[in-house]
Amino acid sequence: MGDVMGPDLISDLPQSIIESILVQLPIRDAVRTSILSSKWRYKWASITQLVFDDKCVPFSNDREAVEKSVVKFITRVLFLHQGPIHKFQITNSKLQSCPEIDQWILFLSRNDIKELVMELGEGEFFRIPSNLFNCGKLTRLELSRCELDPPHSFKGFAGLRSLNLHQVLISPDAVESLISRCPLLESLSLAYFDNLALTICAPNLKYLYLEGEFKDICLEDTPLLVEISIAMYMTDDIAEHFEQSSNCNFVKFLGGVPNLEKLVGLIYFTKYLSIGIDSVHPPMMYHNLESIELYQVNFEDMVEILVILRLITSSPNLKELQISGSSNIPVAVDTPDLDFWEKECLSDSTLNKLKTVKLSEMGGWPHEIEFIKYLLGRSPVLETLSIIPCVFDMENNLKMLIELVKCRRASTRAEVIFTHE
Amino acid sequence: MSDAAMAVVKPEMKSYIWLQTVDGSIQQVEEEVAMFCPMICQEVLQTGMGSSKNYAISLPQRVNPAILGLILDYCRFHQVPGHSNKERKTFDEKFIRMDTKKLCELTSAADSLQLKPLVDLTSRALARIIEGKTPEEIRETFHLPDDLTEEEKLEPLRNITDDPRIRLLNRLYARKRKELKERKKLKDVEVEEEPKDERSVEDLLSFINGADGDMKGTRTNKNKKKNRRRKDHAKDLSSKNENDKDLNPLPSAYHNVYFDNALEASASKHSRMQNLPAISFSPKFEVIDGDVDDDLDPAMKEELDREVEDFARRLNSDWPERMQILSLGQDRRLVPPISMNSNGSTHLYTALAGNSISKVSGS
Repeated sequence: MGDVMGPDLISDLPQSIIESILVQLPIRDAVRTSILSSKWRYKWASITQLVFDDKCVPFSNDREAVEKSVVKFITRVLFLHQGPIHKFQITNSKLQSCPEIDQWILFLSRNDIKELVMELGEGEFFRIPSNLFNCGKLTRLELSRCELDPPHSFKGFAGLRSLNLHQVLISPDAVESLISRCPLLESLSLAYFDNLALTICAPNLKYLYLEGEFKDICLEDTPLLVEISIAMYMTDDIAEHFEQSSNCNFVKFLGGVPNLEKLVGLIYFTKYLSIGIDSVHPPMMYHNLESIELYQVNFEDMVEILVILRLITSSPNLKELQISGSSNIPVAVDTPDLDFWEKECLSDSTLNKLKTVKLSEMGGWPHEIEFIKYLLGRSPVLETLSIIPCVFDMENNLKMLIELVKCRRASTRAEVIFTHE
Repeated sequence: MSDAAMAVVKPEMKSYIWLQTVDGSIQQVEEEVAMFCPMICQEVLQTGMGSSKNYAISLPQRVNPAILGLILDYCRFHQVPGHSNKERKTFDEKFIRMDTKKLCELTSAADSLQLKPLVDLTSRALARIIEGKTPEEIRETFHLPDDLTEEEKLEPLRNITDDPRIRLLNRLYARKRKELKERKKLKDVEVEEEPKDERSVEDLLSFINGADGDMKGTRTNKNKKKNRRRKDHAKDLSSKNENDKDLNPLPSAYHNVYFDNALEASASKHSRMQNLPAISFSPKFEVIDGDVDDDLDPAMKEELDREVEDFARRLNSDWPERMQILSLGQDRRLVPPISMNSNGSTHLYTALAGNSISKVSGS
């Protein structure tokens, strides 16, 4: 029938193009091309990327049946596959721990696996088999909800560039040693770790994302860090640790990151940085730091405000600032210490590149107002200052607006946008 | 070389590169546009060609003048650094709208010019065309020959299990195959697309595996009436099964088996069968290949239907037990009689359950 319709348009394209097409199809469609024609029988079998998501088998409400179906499918695909597998990804919420996982990882370890992503369903954590540590060519590893237990003799992944562990059970020593033994590591993401005191030695690290209950974070050897995002949760244990700490966290954390371009801090991060800050000067200038985002800042705590001020005055090229207040502040009873601001106002520093400021969860507290005054008065090229109040209470917001209107502005182009809905 | 250089310098001081396509025609293109193609860039830098008409760069044969025009349009837009990502995306979306034939040619040409962003764009477009289509539709779109033979499909499964149902099925299949062969002899000259009773074999298949009355249509056989009959039949059976408490595991098991077919197909040549796992598992009639054969001898048809019904009833009666066997991971797979024979190559399949691996090799 080929003659009737015209010449075959596609089967003779180079394998690299065919692969590029097949890889952009859902895995089921890719496998089904095997029945198109004799030339297509095995074209799918040599694709180097296998991605199994929630759609790789038909939907059903029976989780167990679906799980069996997924397991069978994956095993068959692997078995029929020929050639190297560079990327293997399972992000399937119906699949939980099953014995086949060991076999799959063994198979992958023999087939030059480079990128491995395993994000299984909620439920029992699966245990990563030791074969994983034989995957010498691994460049990217992303694991969710599993147990990871590197053997003592493990020398690290020589080529690993990206490590992402999300809700992974692993001992703190193992994590640190894993990180330090991957010399090429560029991107590190750890989420939902409990009570971890972490020291990071990663000379090539550029991107760092941490989220969880961290007692301590020490960036010991991370000179190339460009982007940091930290969300620190609080527990009683950690709170106690904070109180007793005699460190200067600002120095410990930000002391070795001269190339920093973007800093994002959430939840208790600002509090963490504030510990020990009033005793030291900022360690360095961050010439590349252009974007700072700090959330859940407690404007009642002057030390936290000090963190912000120290940061922004150490960043001569700062362009974008986003601060979100903590909406948990009870109505302030004590008279705020506004002397603090007078001291700060004595310095001459200006924010010469600051263009955009976004303040959210603003309650109109005195310190917030002073901070806004500070910003407006020292930002000669400011273009937008947007304020989103946390309480849409007309009276409160009116008070805030009245104060804002009084503020002197260093930039003639500055627009103050007050969002009210 | 200076003469050649003079010829190139235009009043507006723009420089051009000369390109020659495989048909011999030569055109000149603004330098910055042409240099956006790595292959052209390389040629210019390494060999110095392209500066004049006489020294035009010969483009690979996959690049014809029309396609070259398209490629240059692409380069002309993208080589401008000022465009935002959004603008580029919008341009790409519009650019990619063309018929499939041209799209394939463009992909091939872009690949030979090593223009990776365009290759990615076109292959993504081709993937979108393929996604979600039935095999028939894909074959039609790309003019693929339907050259996987059907004979292998009908060969009985060399099964290891002693299940009487499988033996019965094998017998049925053997009979079907004989009939087919006879039919084929009669219609030797005529290149007919499908053997007529292919579909009923498919139905058998679905009975064995779906056993909830699922009947998948096959291929291009055309018998809508037959379809409808089957559909009603299917509905009856499925309603029977509604009450079965094991209905839940059913669809996926059924589907699993079908999908096995699909995966086996890559080793065997059961193109038709593999249409079955096409889309959903729900016990509804699915005609993947359009119409169903009308030419089936009515008497034979009836006989087949009877057999099939009988079989189905028997299967339905010991449903739970069958589910046991079908349950994956524990047992040898109970697979529809798709042979693993394809030109003598061995076909392996495993039953995944802990340690047991069973191999069946086609002879």
